[in-house]
Amino acid sequence: MSEVTITGEIRGSRPRRTPPRLRITSLEVLCVLLVAALVFQDRLVAALDVPVLRTASTVFVAICVQALPFLVFGVLISGAIAAFVPAGALRRLLPRNTALAVPVAGVAGVALPGCECASVPVARRLMQQGVAPAVALSFLLAAPAVNPIVLVSTAVAFRDAPMMVPARFVGSLFTAVVMGWLWTRFGKAGWIAERALRRLPDRAGASRWSVFAETARHDLVEAGGFLVLGGVFAAAFNVLVPAAWLETLGAQVVLAVLVMALVAVVLALCSEADAFVAMSMTALPLLPRLVFLVVGPAVDVKLVALQAGAFGRSFAARFAPVTFVVAIGCAVAAGAVFL
Amino acid sequence: MRRETQNVLLVLLGGALLKLALTGTYLRYVKESLQPWLVGTGAVMILLAVVGIARDLRGGREQGEGVAEGVAGGPPGGDSPEGGHTESGHPEGAHHHEHGSRSPWMLLLPVLAVFLISPPALGADTVNRSDRNAAQESRAGSGFAPLPPDEVVPLTITEFVTRTAWDDSGSLDDRTVRLTGFVVRKEQNVYLARLAISCCAADAAPVKALMVGQDFSALPDDQWVEATGRVVPGSATKDTAYVPTFTVSGVTPVIPPEDTYEG
Repeated sequence: MSEVTITGEIRGSRPRRTPPRLRITSLEVLCVLLVAALVFQDRLVAALDVPVLRTASTVFVAICVQALPFLVFGVLISGAIAAFVPAGALRRLLPRNTALAVPVAGVAGVALPGCECASVPVARRLMQQGVAPAVALSFLLAAPAVNPIVLVSTAVAFRDAPMMVPARFVGSLFTAVVMGWLWTRFGKAGWIAERALRRLPDRAGASRWSVFAETARHDLVEAGGFLVLGGVFAAAFNVLVPAAWLETLGAQVVLAVLVMALVAVVLALCSEADAFVAMSMTALPLLPRLVFLVVGPAVDVKLVALQAGAFGRSFAARFAPVTFVVAIGCAVAAGAVFL
Repeated sequence: MRRETQNVLLVLLGGALLKLALTGTYLRYVKESLQPWLVGTGAVMILLAVVGIARDLRGGREQGEGVAEGVAGGPPGGDSPEGGHTESGHPEGAHHHEHGSRSPWMLLLPVLAVFLISPPALGADTVNRSDRNAAQESRAGSGFAPLPPDEVVPLTITEFVTRTAWDDSGSLDDRTVRLTGFVVRKEQNVYLARLAISCCAADAAPVKALMVGQDFSALPDDQWVEATGRVVPGSATKDTAYVPTFTVSGVTPVIPPEDTYEG
């Protein structure tokens, strides 16, 4: 691609009067790819006709199909914030002290009923609207885990252990708040890619609806690509991680906590479904399953891919590992209190 | 990536979602309740792409007429990485430049997967990836409704497993039941299995019963069958990983149901 880009730029910078010549842009590349895929369809299908690849491709499509409605929901909200909320309005709404605004943003996550795919574009838009990064990040982590849909599905899944619901709520909320405070204290704005923080240009002359449509379209294309990338990883892990050894962990709680935290990261389940998966792992005690539920919505391969796309790689490389550790700590603490 | 290419990809992806939702193929991947959301998502994607294309066309025309380019240039999200590249006076017009980001190319993967490969519903391979039987322990507390008095009781495999494992009243003993599922082999054993999903195929959990009493060698893996028979009482215990034994008296191949998943 870089070659194509460079060629395009060099050619593009020439005056238009030069004789027309064949320009290879992404549009032509796309056409060639589509034609090639059609021509080699039979071979492609035959190559994938191995049980493990068939299973992986089904899981991959399932993850994409399940997550895209939530992502579209998220980019529509993000577009609406960009178009209809005056810059600075959100900042005025939140407490001026960032340390106070962080928990407020965490609790505000209750109002976004979606899974993690919806919260990334919204959090990024909040930053562009002038909300402090720590506050937006706290919202990013809290929204997928503490909203009513997730809590209700957790309650349905764990009918026999109703304390899982407050434990999950508190564990996830504390993860979000602690991460927000950590960012306030140690975070550097330079870690976040410049494009994520850049203020919106003055929109004089553009109708609000066209700003809305263009912002949503742009966010969807960008985040969608990273969502698909995360889906590829999650599908691969889904067939590579043997489910059998989860059941052998049994009573070794410390090991089980660590393993379940890792499993939450690699499986990248939707936060509305993970409670049912955790419920079915009956061989494990409740604490490792709580860790699974708290870590999953905060860090998973799909989410890290989305974060790297929205805020840049150097952000994701720092933020994700710390979140992972903080989430385990908060989940264990919440488990000690409630379970 | 050019804006035109992005819009084409969005139309393709939206079309893929609409195709899944409207042909019923989506049931291979997600639950039935998601269908209206898929239709809406596909429609919104196509709409956003069409609005983008319309703006590009209009912007291009205005530029041709010598109108100073205003907002139509860069996306309002402010994400054109090559700043000087979109300066007015650039001969190609702003919307023709290549974007720095390569991530949108990934959108092609689900499009190709849906239109060309169309992956099948999960089956025997997934069942054999796990030893557990997703019998829901929590069902034990809420009690079991009495079975209908019919001679042959149709049951889901989930219900069959749950009742065998957790119903102390023995409501299944001496009852003939009919189960629908696909054939799975592991080592010497032949199972009748289904997958239960709670959200999408990524969280599929197997439910299965061990089939005995007949010669099943003619049935290949993943063959859908309807089997009638009786449970061996008390066969689903911790030692058997809660997989009940099902004494089959009759088994007939059937076409797969539209929704192959339970739960």
